[in-house]
Amino acid sequence: MNSADFLAMLPHLVLGVAIVLLMLVIAFIRNHALTATLTALSMLASLLAIGPSLEALPRQVTPLYIFDAFGAYFTGLILIAGICTVVFSYRYLQGRRGDPDEYYLLLAIATFGAITMVETTHFAAFLLGLEILSISLYVLIAYPEEGHVPLEAGVKYLVLSGVASTTILFGLALLYNATGSMAFQAAERALTDQPNYEVYVVAGNMLVFGGLAFKLSLVPFHMWTPDVYQGAPAPISGFIATVSKGAVVALVYRYLIGGDGLDNDALVTALSAIAIASMVIGNLLALMQRDFKRILAYSSIAHLGYLMIALLAINALATLDFAVEAGLIYLAAYFAMTLAAFGIVTLLSSSEQDAGDLEYYEGLFWRQPWVAGVLTITLLSLAGIPMTVGFIAKFYLFGAGIEGSMYTLLWALIVGSAIGIFYYLRVIFIMTHRPESTLRNERPVARGAFAVICLLGLTVLAFGVYPTPLIVLVGMAISGMGG
Amino acid sequence: MNTATVVPIEHVLVLAAVLFTLGLTGVLVRRNFLFLLISLEIMMNACGLAFVAGGARWAQADGQIMYMLILTLAAAEVAVGLGLVLQLERRFGNLDIDAANELNG
Repeated sequence: MNSADFLAMLPHLVLGVAIVLLMLVIAFIRNHALTATLTALSMLASLLAIGPSLEALPRQVTPLYIFDAFGAYFTGLILIAGICTVVFSYRYLQGRRGDPDEYYLLLAIATFGAITMVETTHFAAFLLGLEILSISLYVLIAYPEEGHVPLEAGVKYLVLSGVASTTILFGLALLYNATGSMAFQAAERALTDQPNYEVYVVAGNMLVFGGLAFKLSLVPFHMWTPDVYQGAPAPISGFIATVSKGAVVALVYRYLIGGDGLDNDALVTALSAIAIASMVIGNLLALMQRDFKRILAYSSIAHLGYLMIALLAINALATLDFAVEAGLIYLAAYFAMTLAAFGIVTLLSSSEQDAGDLEYYEGLFWRQPWVAGVLTITLLSLAGIPMTVGFIAKFYLFGAGIEGSMYTLLWALIVGSAIGIFYYLRVIFIMTHRPESTLRNERPVARGAFAVICLLGLTVLAFGVYPTPLIVLVGMAISGMGG
Repeated sequence: MNTATVVPIEHVLVLAAVLFTLGLTGVLVRRNFLFLLISLEIMMNACGLAFVAGGARWAQADGQIMYMLILTLAAAEVAVGLGLVLQLERRFGNLDIDAANELNG
């Protein structure tokens, strides 16, 4: 390894060192505000370190990691989401029983796992990143000391996510047996090169994609999502919805682009069916929910189904760049919208209970007009109304779908979005009800969390009106893709 | 050199697949959280076995390295899992995961 290698790894090194320091600080001083500030600052430092690291990219560091602009884009998104989560968590944990310090440590470690995962095309590094992320999440979900619900969610996530991880692992083991290589590219190319072992390769790919579909909570592997989102602390639900899924999406992109795309018909058909089911069933089930966190869970299932269009469009090789562009723009939009939504849930939660039930939102326009305004923008963006980034993102997906002539998927997208508008507008409608009593005892609005939510809302609007900076950024990420 | 018959790679993989299926069945059938953790462990070790078989087939060290990584991962997962076992026992009074069903899903 030489100095250019270290420069390329700078964001990861900064966060890694910061985590160790944070651990030492917690050992000596237990102070909620201090720990939260230090965690946010370490993520910020890591985010700023992306700047100087760019000149060393793209770079293969040992066979395990490949650092390039594509990975840097995801690293940036994940770190920003991490910082937002820290700010929300500070608000969430204030006034709760128990020590909050380890929570931030685990959050930083989970973020580290996620940014490790987006820079690799190797089985071993992928396994490490994925498990650093998942194991921290088990603890984070079950972190609150009171109540049965977080513990139940943590147990469910541990068992189901463990099964998904081992399924991916077994698939990888089969691929390794067939190809003798631990690189994703070899696994994909082997479909044509090694006819003798084709059964292993196909089975291995199926297992890997099954496990990844679980991590992305696509139908029919979505059962855990609403329960975990409802039971976990609100900021952590937002973290799972964005960071954990974003990292897996980055990995799927590398997997598909590194090989020759998906040149197996059975696999393409299976993934298309999964995508359509996610879009339709996710939206239909969201209609029946009375809990806002569950609505967001089903909405995230549907959104990941939409995103699958961009992933499947890679298959039509002529549209490769456009397909990746559509996916990256959609993901950035999804990050902003989802974080804003879960941030608002955090803001409205009391120190005893999360603001899950829709009655928390009744008359919000009269009680907290600004929060209600941002939530309205967010929900309209999730529904894909013009002038919001959600519309731009869907527009790109549509373009990618048309270029790849995937009309069945596009119909599912249209039907799904139409159903989606209904339940998003229902929440907005509930917020306009004039409250019958103003007795609800509310905590004062936390300034930090409120500022972050407003910033996210502004981002959603700004990129909806003027998306050029986002498109330029994504263009840079794609042109700088190595490997 | 050793002239004993070499076990064909397929046999090892079939054994690994059987172990994996047994573990998966355990996860689906058992309701006691402790047994779920044990079943998960069996699944992970099945993956490890398949990796070691691959390493032997290609005469590379990578398979064994992966096994060590899986071992570490299993240890970390069980550490968290046992912590949750203690909490389940304390808050619900038993380890039956069906007792924890307050989330309507």
